[in-house]
Amino acid sequence: MAEGLAGRRVLLVEDESLVAMLLETILEDMGCIPVGPIATVDEALAAVADDALLDAALLDVNVAGHEVFPVAEALRARGVPFVFSTGYGQGGLPDAWRDQATIQKPFTENAIRDALFKAMGVADV
Amino acid sequence: MRVVQTLDQTIDFETAFEASPNPYMLLTPDLRFAGMNSAYLAMVGATREQLLGARLFDLYDAGPGQEAPENLRQLRNSFEKVLATGERDHLALFHYAIPVVGPDGSVVHEDRYWSATHTPLHDAAGTLVLILQHATDITELEHLRRGRLAEPGAGALDLMLGGGLINRARKVQEANRRLELERKRLLEMFMQAPGFVAMLSGPDHVFQMHNTAYGQLLGRRDLLGKPVRDAVPEAANQGFLELLDTVFATGEPFEGRNSPIELHRQPSGPPEVAWLDFIYQPVRDDDGRVVGIFVQGHEVTQTVLAGHRQKLMIDELNHRVKNTLATVQSIAIQTARSHPDPTTFADSFQQRLLALSHTHDLLTRSHWEGADLRAVLEHETSTHGPLRIALNGPPVALDPASALSFGMIFHELATNAARYGALSCPDGRVLVDWSVSNQAEGRLAVIWRETGGPVVTPPTRRGFGSRLIEQNVRHDLAGEAKLGYASDGFVAELSVPLDRGAQHHG
Repeated sequence: MAEGLAGRRVLLVEDESLVAMLLETILEDMGCIPVGPIATVDEALAAVADDALLDAALLDVNVAGHEVFPVAEALRARGVPFVFSTGYGQGGLPDAWRDQATIQKPFTENAIRDALFKAMGVADV
Repeated sequence: MRVVQTLDQTIDFETAFEASPNPYMLLTPDLRFAGMNSAYLAMVGATREQLLGARLFDLYDAGPGQEAPENLRQLRNSFEKVLATGERDHLALFHYAIPVVGPDGSVVHEDRYWSATHTPLHDAAGTLVLILQHATDITELEHLRRGRLAEPGAGALDLMLGGGLINRARKVQEANRRLELERKRLLEMFMQAPGFVAMLSGPDHVFQMHNTAYGQLLGRRDLLGKPVRDAVPEAANQGFLELLDTVFATGEPFEGRNSPIELHRQPSGPPEVAWLDFIYQPVRDDDGRVVGIFVQGHEVTQTVLAGHRQKLMIDELNHRVKNTLATVQSIAIQTARSHPDPTTFADSFQQRLLALSHTHDLLTRSHWEGADLRAVLEHETSTHGPLRIALNGPPVALDPASALSFGMIFHELATNAARYGALSCPDGRVLVDWSVSNQAEGRLAVIWRETGGPVVTPPTRRGFGSRLIEQNVRHDLAGEAKLGYASDGFVAELSVPLDRGAQHHG
């Protein structure tokens, strides 16, 4: 079912460790290789700059009190697809990012998979 | 006295003044007699020497009688109005007793009725120097009118004698007095109104008047007589001048709601944002032309700010609730993975939820300012008894997020010890020692050491508990965790910076 995601390296930015652990587990279940989890915007920016092999990213909108958008900009510049995760609801995203694939906390495995497929433009086989 | 040339004659105004059959009298601003003509002297029955230089109200105090104080007040008011406004005032009819020498030589007060006009006289510099009174004694007219009123058919004669006119004049006078009182009261209400009010006149919107609240809104700067453009330049730059121009040009009122404006609230202070509800109301003359704009409104800054704060709080609350739900979801899903049996799942899941909840309770007690490390440890290990878990270390204040993390970590350590480690044997003990080293940066070292338990074998796979500990320490506490599976007892060494401050938001 999730063959399209198997072996993909997915950057995980989430500061709440329990939530990060769940995302990590879910990504592993889908056959992905989680990169991280990373808990600050600065470390995430460094990871985007250093890791040449990122296939996708899951970004918590509010990371340790800071907005994650600089990381999103960096990923977009590199052409890496990404998905936002947020506890603020759809209204929590600025207009510039409103069309971005987004998952709402709390989330389901299906929601994460669908959002990743949407962002990566991979067909669900 | 001025002498002017007209055509081929020279007129001496002093002679004319003296010769006039109309009674005239001049008063200085402090209400002393400065001059009068013969007609006046004849009317009041006095000599020039008696009057010149004397205070009017010393000689004429309205006499005894119930009405006297009110009569005196009316006359004095008229003079004061002239002095205050520099404009002429009329007393169409007033009642005022003056002293006269009776037939037997004694002085008595005689009731008289008067009609008077008080005209201010200014010098070349515009200063009021004299008040000219033109007073007419209409007592006889009034008496005649009253006498006739008692007779049948008095109406026509009364009208002929001007009684109706006098009566009307008296009513107008009374109405004027009431209007004046009302005007004063309105003005006071206007000045003290909590909302701001201003009157702008002309196409340049010149401040004609404003109340106290308006002055306070604009930092009590000097506004009167100035156009808005000069008096409140910052408003002009924010589109308010264009609004005024439009209202003046179209005659259509404008209503602003929750309008932000940057104003200098203090004369030399920085600009501050104020939110206003206001209306610009065009004022028209008798021909319907717009001649000015009436401005009124009130400041709603506090309401707007409270609304913003409330929205922020609701957004933040929503965010926290969603995050907490995601945390609980994570605990549920991961606990389920290691507990396929629903009974043990429920127990384990509830214990973890309770661990989270206990730390919340601790934090609620301190109004979410933080918690002490020992209190967090005692909370999570109390079910195993103080004899089996020895806590040893100095007071360490934890911020709320760190307290929640340590709560979860100690819960996992204690659960693990009870299930597989030292606390699963009757003689096993746990020693928890902590210290703060590196005072400058504040680094907390915690050692959890188990003794007297079964022989330890390293786990074949990393369970949820050890993952949670490692993730929490590294991720949420920005520290390091070392889990040691020595055969004589499990040891966990945690090293965590204490000065993370605002780095974490929870």
